[in-house]
Amino acid sequence: MDTKREDFETTCNLFIQALENYFKHLTDVTSEIGVPFIKESETLSLKNFTGLIGISGNRKGFVYISADKSMYADLINIFIGIEEPTTEDILDMAGEISNVIAGSVRANYGNNFNISVPIVFEGMPKQLKFPAEVAVFVIPMKWKGHEAFLVVGLE
Amino acid sequence: MKLLIVDDSSIMRRTIEKNLGDYNLEIIGTASNGNAALEIVKEKKPDVITLDITMPEMDGITCLENIMEIHPSAKVMIITALSDKLTGLKALDKGARGFMYKPVNAEDLKKAFDKLLKRQE
Repeated sequence: MDTKREDFETTCNLFIQALENYFKHLTDVTSEIGVPFIKESETLSLKNFTGLIGISGNRKGFVYISADKSMYADLINIFIGIEEPTTEDILDMAGEISNVIAGSVRANYGNNFNISVPIVFEGMPKQLKFPAEVAVFVIPMKWKGHEAFLVVGLE
Repeated sequence: MKLLIVDDSSIMRRTIEKNLGDYNLEIIGTASNGNAALEIVKEKKPDVITLDITMPEMDGITCLENIMEIHPSAKVMIITALSDKLTGLKALDKGARGFMYKPVNAEDLKKAFDKLLKRQE
């Protein structure tokens, strides 16, 4: 196995474990993970609401989760019993998921794997583009029928 | 006992509040960053504080150092996504009484607070 592919698989597995653990541990419902793929296009894979974490230190890049409102609303309902969350709640939920997933991976990369506070947005922001030197891969997932993407870009 | 909840996620603050409802804790405030938390600590002297680490304006470790200077008897429980051991040890070294890695569910919170509050009796 060449180093690039090995690194891709190792990194993918770390993020998949973090993603699976998040949903299973907090909701008791297992998420279905699709086949991860490397993204070649410069455009982002986005649903309606996205939470993004910037990564600096020994690895540089980003991780984001993107899903439609219904997935975040379902999670919020489980966590605090609110049936009609505000847009602010939905964005907060997106940011918190991305924060926990990036933070979980830090256990493997060490304390020089620095993560930012979440950047959250609705829809497709025009100013966000992948840096050319970053390898980007997409992990598609489903939880309770809701589709989402975890997208990881690391130097 | 007076409780202060500090986390930049509003959903997380409300989740903690909901799950600690069974304890005899009066929630005297919530804060979304370290600066806001310190204002509440100075004014209301909470007995117990849940404290996130990755927050805007002032991170949780800096906030913890300040809390220990102005209100050293506060029992601080760190609840963070930063899952490396060094961060946990650093927080304990600076005066935190407990440490939890996110994702944190109701059972995790209960176990940790049973331990924290029992130790306090």
